[in-house]
Amino acid sequence: MSVHVASVGTGRYGKRPEGLIDLAAEAANLALEGIGRKPIDLLIAGTMLAHGPYGTETFLPRIASRLSLESASGFRVDSASGTGGMAFHAAAILLESGRFERALVVAAEKMTDQSTAIITRELAASLHSSEVAHGATMPALAALVTQRYLQRHHLTTEVCDRASVHARAMAARNPNAHFQKPVTAAEVASSRPVALPLRLLHCSPISDGATALVLERGKGPATVLGLGQGFDALRIADRADLSSFTATRVAAKRAYESARLTRREVEFVEVHDAFSPFALMHIEDLGLCGPGEAAEWFEKGWVLPDGRLPVNPSGGVIGRGHPVAASGLAEVGEVALQLRGEAGRRAIARPPKVGLAQAMSGIASHNFVTILGREAP
Amino acid sequence: MSEIAWTIELARCGACHAQFLPTDGPCPRCGSTETHLYTASANGQVLAATELVHPAAGWQSPHLLAFVELPGPVRLLAIVDGSLPALGATVTVRREGEVYRARTQAPPAGPPV
Repeated sequence: MSVHVASVGTGRYGKRPEGLIDLAAEAANLALEGIGRKPIDLLIAGTMLAHGPYGTETFLPRIASRLSLESASGFRVDSASGTGGMAFHAAAILLESGRFERALVVAAEKMTDQSTAIITRELAASLHSSEVAHGATMPALAALVTQRYLQRHHLTTEVCDRASVHARAMAARNPNAHFQKPVTAAEVASSRPVALPLRLLHCSPISDGATALVLERGKGPATVLGLGQGFDALRIADRADLSSFTATRVAAKRAYESARLTRREVEFVEVHDAFSPFALMHIEDLGLCGPGEAAEWFEKGWVLPDGRLPVNPSGGVIGRGHPVAASGLAEVGEVALQLRGEAGRRAIARPPKVGLAQAMSGIASHNFVTILGREAP
Repeated sequence: MSEIAWTIELARCGACHAQFLPTDGPCPRCGSTETHLYTASANGQVLAATELVHPAAGWQSPHLLAFVELPGPVRLLAIVDGSLPALGATVTVRREGEVYRARTQAPPAGPPV
C-alpha cells in the first residue's frame, strides 16, 4: 500500500486522573506535533466503554471539537478490545482509496474510575450472550481456552508464568507502560488465582490510556505492507478448535498474502496478550513457530529484543497495560516506532525492516493483523 | 448395562446437518433456521473446567464452568454442580431454563434409555 505511519503519539498507560477526552487529546496532540501539525482530512476514533454522561456515540464529535478537526471527515469504529486494530485498518484503506491525504487515528479508554466488578461485566459484552448467561467472564473463558492449549501440547502453567515475566521485563523498559517493575516467575506463580490455570499476574490490568497515529499517503520507514482480518464464532463452544485462534490464523494468512511476504520475513511482533498464554498461542497462529513450540521460544530467550524474533518489546497488553480500545493501536504504534528508529532504549537489537502487529477482539472473535515495513519514500 | 443414563434434546440442522446446542437458535455453522430436534445421550466428557474465584455479579461461589463434549460431537459451556471435574471426566448434562448444567456424580436412578 502507498500509506505510511508518519507519527505515533501516546501518553502514559495506567491509573490516570484525566477523563477519556483529555487522554485521547493528549495522545492526539503528541501525534499531531510529530508531523508539525500539518492538516488532517480524516479522523478515525474508537473507544469501547465511554462511561459517565457520554456514550461511545458522542466520542467522535467530542474529539473533533477538542482538536479543532471539524473540517475533517470522521468515522467511529468499534470492535471491543480490537478497536485500535480496526481503526488503523479503516484509516489505511480509506487513504489508499485516494479520497483522503492524511488521517489521525485515535483510540482511548478510561477504566480505572469504575470497580473491577463493573469493568468485568462491561468487558463481557464482547462475549456471546448465551455464554454470559452461564456466568462466563473474560478470564473464565480465557482460562478454559488456556487449559485446552496446555493440555494439547503437554505444557504446564510454567509457560504462562514465563510469558508474564517476559511482558513485565519488556514493560520495565517502556516509560509509558502501566507496570514499571519486573516480576519473577515465583511471584507470578504465587499470585492469587482468578480462574485456574490463570492467576492475577497472567491477566492484563485495568488501565486508562490512549494512543494516536498519523497516517499519510506515500511510503516511509513504517509503510503499510499488508492488512488482514479474521472472524471466528462468537460462542467459543461452537469453534472448531478450542486450543488455538482461527481468527488470528485467517487474519495472518490474508495479511501475508496482501503484503506478498512470508512469515519468515517478519522480524518482530506485537501480539495481543490479554492473558499471558495468548502470546504463545498468537505467535503460533501467526505461523512464526510451530504449534506448541512457542514455549521453547520463551524459555530460550528467542523472544527477547536481541533474540531471533523479538515479541512485544513494548511490554504487551500484560505489561504495557490494557485500556481496551487503545491496545490494538498501541500494538501497531510500537511496530511503527521500532521501524522508524524512535523506540528509544527499548529498540530491538537489529534495526528491523518488517514488523507485525496483531490485535484481538474479545476472546479472538475478530482479529486484525497489520504488517509494516521500511520502504524508501 | 448401557452407559447412557440420561438424555438431552439436541438440534440437527436441516441444511448442513450440523448438530448443536442450544436448540432454540439458528444453526451456528450455516445460520439455517430449519432445525430438527432429537434426543441423545446426556453423558459427555469434560474438555476444560475452571472455578471463578470471583464470580460475576449475581452469581455465588463456588461458580464452576466447563466445556463439555457430547457425542456428535456437540460442544457446550455448562455450569458444573458439585466439585471441579478432572479433564476427561464423564459428566451428565441437563438443561435448566437458558443454561446447561453438568454434574460429575452418578445421577440418581432415572428413566433408562
